[in-house]
Amino acid sequence: MFEPFGRLWKQAPFRSTYDAVIVGGGLHGLATAYYLAKNHGVRRVAVLEKNHIGYGSAGRNTAIVRANQRTQENIPLYDEGLKMWPQLMDELDFNLMFFNCGNLNLAHSEAAMGALRLQVASAQYLGVRSELLDRKQCKELIPHLNISEDITYPVFGGMYHPPGGTVRHDALVWALAKGASALGVHIHQQTEVTGIAVHRGRVTAVETSRGTIHTLRVLNAAGPWSVLVSAMVDIRLPIHVLPIQAMVTEPLKPFLHHVISSGAYHCYANQSLKGEVVTGAHMDPWISYGTHVTAHYIKHQAEALTELLPCLRGVKFMRIWGGLADMTPDMAPIIDGNDPIEGYYMDCGWGYFGFKSAAVTGKYVAEYMATGRCPKILQPFRLKRYEENRLLGETASPPQYGPWN
Amino acid sequence: MSFTITCPICGKRDLYEFRFGGEERGARPDYENLTPQNWCDYVHLRTNRPGPQREWWFHRDGCGRWFTVWRDPMTNRETASSEATR
Ligand SMILES: Cc1cc2nc3c(=O)[nH]c(=O)nc-3n(C[C@H](O)[C@H](O)[C@H](O)COP(=O)(O)OP(=O)(O)OC[C@H]3O[C@@H](n4cnc5c(N)ncnc54)[C@H](O)[C@@H]3O)c2cc1C
Ligand SMILES: [Zn+2]
Repeated sequence: MFEPFGRLWKQAPFRSTYDAVIVGGGLHGLATAYYLAKNHGVRRVAVLEKNHIGYGSAGRNTAIVRANQRTQENIPLYDEGLKMWPQLMDELDFNLMFFNCGNLNLAHSEAAMGALRLQVASAQYLGVRSELLDRKQCKELIPHLNISEDITYPVFGGMYHPPGGTVRHDALVWALAKGASALGVHIHQQTEVTGIAVHRGRVTAVETSRGTIHTLRVLNAAGPWSVLVSAMVDIRLPIHVLPIQAMVTEPLKPFLHHVISSGAYHCYANQSLKGEVVTGAHMDPWISYGTHVTAHYIKHQAEALTELLPCLRGVKFMRIWGGLADMTPDMAPIIDGNDPIEGYYMDCGWGYFGFKSAAVTGKYVAEYMATGRCPKILQPFRLKRYEENRLLGETASPPQYGPWN
Repeated sequence: MSFTITCPICGKRDLYEFRFGGEERGARPDYENLTPQNWCDYVHLRTNRPGPQREWWFHRDGCGRWFTVWRDPMTNRETASSEATR
């Protein structure tokens, strides 16, 4: 029944010329390469990755997917992204373990209920399933939820988003690499981009640790390191690189059937198909390129989780890890191209929203790079919006009220 | 792992007692020459230096003082300013 496992993607020769070069073998880079080859016939594409593919946040996230963002500019992109999973599994012939268990985001004050009411209304207006629940309905959904009055932040109600859930993050990395490689994309690991050559306002080449590559199109998809790649062409970005941590408990009998999150407790959790409770949200609010973990956070997470789900008292954490997030002031990404350098594109600033959006964004960024024209759905994300003071307002939800994932 | 910051008043303390105030980015542009570009530059754009940089910190759970230190975001450790200029 099972055949021996072969390599998922091919070792490719290192060429000195490509039609497009992608900096970063994360999900955004791999997805863009895949769609460049698949939808636009751009076959000579190289993905350059300084470590191994999935080394960055692609392999460290908690894999939560949802489409109930806050603003009308963001919702359509995430909505299409969420609808793509079943089709993508089929198309890539890979089990991405899409589990649409639904996400419940809790509110712990009247103000939070007000904020969620607005968020639910925006989602419904744009055709995304989302509804407001009172605390009893939250309890019906998650019987182990503590809705008593004597906790730090008593539960007032919640926002329930039935179509969201989780996807296996590593599987998506492997599937996209396999799909891209089968279409002729070259994936070069252990290859660091060290410079980008620009002549008369247009990209001409990329310098790497393995030599020069001539190309007229480059995508900065370096995730948390995108600010450093951007500095190579003297473009400063409104990004803070902040460290985030996540952890898992020992496996338990199935008891938590939805993704649960709380802005006030600064915590979210879901139970994986293996039974582990995957939980995260702690972001250290200082610039860091180190992926440390801290005792401070383990304590915080234990306190938050056991107040919300008292049945977890005494359960052990098994693993903890850290990753980085490229945070923008409005919690929306920066997707731009040919401004001011012809042939230089960027897709970065995803913060902690870049997993759920990777496939759909790759699809549209590929269109952007193939045609030179920015697809309508990506137009709100230009870098110039900061100068024009047109920030996208996603920030208004997560810190106090939103899902943190 | 524990990180520390040295407050000029209270000395070396656990980093979680402090609030990060961002990288030092020079004086606020003066009102006369204000353009959308230099205002955006000051308010939003950042360097995120992968090496020692001067940063603002606030001793939130302590004496309440704002001050600057040199710190390296690669290691999350304070450094001497002389090391930073090397
Ligand atoms: C703990 C944690 C939890 C998260 N949870 C969620 C979640 O639940 N849902 C969600 O949607 N998002 C989540 N995220 C965010 C999400 O993981 C990221 O936004 C997403 O992975 C970003 O993808 P990317 O392709 O832009 O970057 P990455 O996956 O980080 O890829 C960038 C790649 O570029 C490479 N690179 C960097 N510089 C160079 C160079 N000079 N040359 C060559 N290669 C280079 C890096 O090695 C890296 O592999 C989480 C993130 C973390 C850290
Ligand atoms: Zn002090």
